[in-house]
This record gives sequence, C-alpha cells and structure tokens, in this order.
Amino acid sequence: LPTPPARLPYVPQVPPMALLGKVTATTFALERPLCVFDGHADASDAVWLAVAFANASAAFRNPQSRADVPPYKQLPTARSYMTLETAAAAYSCSAPSPPVLRVGGDTACRDQGRQDPCNGPLPSPGPYRVKFLLMGCRGPKAETRWSEPILLRTALSPSAIDPGPARRGSAVVVIASILASLGAVLATAVLGALGAKVWGSLCPQRLGTGSFIRRSYRTHHIPPALPPPPGCGCSPPGLCLSAPRAPAPCQ
Amino acid sequence: MAKSDDCVHILQGLLVFGNVVIGLCGIALTAECIYVVSNPQGPYPLLKATENSDIYAAAWIGIFVGLALFALSILGIIAVIKASRTLLMVYIILMLITFAFEMASCITAATHQDSLTPEHFLKQMLERYQKSEPGNNSDNEVTKTWDELMRQNHCCGVKGPSDWQEYTSAFRDTHSDADYPWPRTCCVLDAKGLPVNLDGCKLGVPGYYNSNGCYDAISGPVNAHAWGVAWFGFAILCWTFCVLLGTMFYWSGIEY
Repeated sequence: LPTPPARLPYVPQVPPMALLGKVTATTFALERPLCVFDGHADASDAVWLAVAFANASAAFRNPQSRADVPPYKQLPTARSYMTLETAAAAYSCSAPSPPVLRVGGDTACRDQGRQDPCNGPLPSPGPYRVKFLLMGCRGPKAETRWSEPILLRTALSPSAIDPGPARRGSAVVVIASILASLGAVLATAVLGALGAKVWGSLCPQRLGTGSFIRRSYRTHHIPPALPPPPGCGCSPPGLCLSAPRAPAPCQ
Repeated sequence: MAKSDDCVHILQGLLVFGNVVIGLCGIALTAECIYVVSNPQGPYPLLKATENSDIYAAAWIGIFVGLALFALSILGIIAVIKASRTLLMVYIILMLITFAFEMASCITAATHQDSLTPEHFLKQMLERYQKSEPGNNSDNEVTKTWDELMRQNHCCGVKGPSDWQEYTSAFRDTHSDADYPWPRTCCVLDAKGLPVNLDGCKLGVPGYYNSNGCYDAISGPVNAHAWGVAWFGFAILCWTFCVLLGTMFYWSGIEY
C-alpha cells in the first residue's frame, strides 16, 4: 500500500504585491512555492500544480502515476486538471527565479492540442482552488493545502457605459443664456429703430427737431442776385428776362 | 449748442474707440483660431477620426468671424466719423449677422467641450480600436491615432490598462486575454518598437508597462482650445453688444 503523501502546511496564494495583471479573465498568478519541498524532494521529482473548480476540490483524487495525471482539455468534464510540471530543484531555496508563476499563459498548447501538460487559459471565471503536488517515480510524495478560492475577472460590455456628462456644466449654461439674451436685446433694438424710422417716414410730423447731430456742411458763399437797375439796360449782361429797351437819353 | 457738440464728439470718440478694440480683438480671434486648427501636437487627429471635431468647426467659424469683425470695425469708424445714416445702418446689420455667427461658434465650442467626458472616449475606444473588419477606413484611423497617442504620451487606454480588463472590446474579440491583457502599445517599448519585457508587461510589473491613462493627455489641450474659442468669443461679444447699442443710439440721433 503506497504511503499517503505528506501534507505540507503551505497554502498557495495569489501574490500580495501590486501587479495589475495578477488576475485577468483567463489567467492568474501564484507565488512561487520556494523552500516548501526541501527535505521531501529528490532530484528526479517533479512538482505539479493541481487546479480544480472550488466546488470540486474536495472530490479531487491525487493521481498515482504520471500517466494518470488529468490533462488540461478534460477540465470541463473532470472539473480539474494538473499543469506546470516543474523540476523540484526549481523551487529549492537557493534557486534564482522570477517570484511569480502565471497560470493560463500558454495559448499555443490549447490551440494545437498537444498531450504534454498544458498551461492553457482557463475557460471560465471559476472560482478555482489550487494546490501543489510533489510527484515521484512511485506516486505523490507530498502535497500542499488547497488555496482559497480564486475568482477571475468578468468583463462588462461597453454598451453599459453611459457617455453623457453627469450634469451639464454651468459654464455652458452661463454662456448660452447670456449670449441669447444679448442677441435678443440687440435684435429688438434694431427692429425698434427700423420700425420707428418706417413710422416716421409714413407719418411725417416733425422735420428733424429731435436730431442733435448735424452733418458738417461745407457752404459756398453765393452772393444774392441784385435786381437789374431800371432803364439802364442789362447789367450784368445775360441776366435780362425781357428784351432790352432802347436807352432813353439822359437829361 | 456747444455742450451738445461736446457730447456728440464724446460719443463719436467712444464709438471710434470701441470699434478700434473690436478690430484688434477680431485679429486676435483669427490668430487664435488659426493656431487651434493647425496645431500639430494637439488632439485634433483623434477627435477627427472619431467624429468629435465640432470644436474645430467652431474654430473655423471663429477665423472668418474675426476677419469680418476687423473689416466691419473699419466700416464702423468711417461711418461714425461721417455720421452717415446709411453706412451706419449697413454696419449695424452686418454686425448683427456676425454676432449671430460668433454666438453659434461659442455655444458650439462650450457645449461640445462639455460632452468630451472620459466615458465618451472609453466607449469609442473599446468599440473601435483594432476592430477587425478591414473595410471600414475610419476604424483604421482610430486605431492608428490611438497607437500614436499611446506611444507619444506613454499612456494606456483612457483611465488605465484596466479599461481593457473591465470591459469587453473589439480588441478583445481578436486578441486573447491570456496573450494580450492589454495592447502591446501599452508596454514599455525599446527603440525598435518591441516590448522591453513581454512577460513583465503581461503581468503588470511596474516599470514594464504604462500604467496611467491617456485622458489627461487628451483633455488638457481640448479644454485649452475650447475655452480659448468659447470664452474669448464671449468676451468679444459682450464688448460688441455695448458698441452696437451706442451705435444705434448715435444713429437714431442723426438728422435725415
């Protein structure tokens, strides 16, 4: 009877540091389980990540050999799968490595349907629970505890966005109302002035007694016309209106 | 009659001064609107691609209104000095028409600037950026202008890269969430235009992606342009109103 795997107290978790992409719609990030398997792992062992729907994690049974590992494409039916097969040495205390693991980041294996462990994108928002499983040649040797449920993002449709302003800005109201009233006053004044002019030309009562502005007149001084002296003919010549009489002899 | 003549001369002087100010303001309005329309660094490409360019229509009207104000102010000065009733009536009517056009321009600029909220840009970006049908030319323009905007200003989305996570989009229809949590243009790019650290960008590690949104880069210049057109035009119209009232009073006092 194979010995049951050692239960390690480590709980996998989403990294607490501020990473905008640590949980997206189809992927999530996990902290690397550094130093967790030291003392339990040999050089040939591999650490797997078991991912299950949160309500199916209790029913998950550890596979007894590598051939029994549930593959990625059975996730919708088996409600769980295992992925991220990594050498145990990569999680030892002294290994230099990036601090997070990304679950679901490999779209190529999903599209090409390879049989190898596939870290494909998760098909639904979950929630999911994960645990790490140390597999040796004869079966599972150690396992961590299940994580808390991890819920992925659900995106809204852009038609839910209301593009209008929350309230019409007060500046617009001020500009529009003041300008409209100024325009109305001007239009009224012009119409009133034109109407008064038309009224004045239809019923002439006064001749400009209300005006206070005079045009500048440039006057030419024209001497008044003198009446022709009687009896002496035409003086100045050309101003006579009747035929000249013969001059009477002066006496 | 000397006192009345003095009053007349004062009124004429005031009207000439008012028209001089209108002429100068008209030139300034034309210059400002030409700057708004032709500024290459401004947000005009994006607004034009997304059919939001009413502010620029208002600026184009402002150019011609400014020139009209300058010409009419010269006409007004001549008409006031010659005390010609006909010329003054022509001046008043043409000024009213110009007043109406400038009023339309101001109200358009103010109303339209009010409607350019972040949600407005967000909705357009989500629906049109990287839309897959190649036949629609304007969507290609939207994509190109957004990419240019994001590269130049080192920003991403309207409020941030999380715009692409919070909402589905035309971009999301063609690019899987696992490979492209947000567009590649949001990553910090090297000299060749490739992401410096693609995995860091996908995870959102600070320093490998642009975390701030582009709304500030758009709204700053848009606000400056819109208020320049709207408020300056409003000020000119208030002054023109006073001058026109004075001119009408002057006109009504000239004898036939």
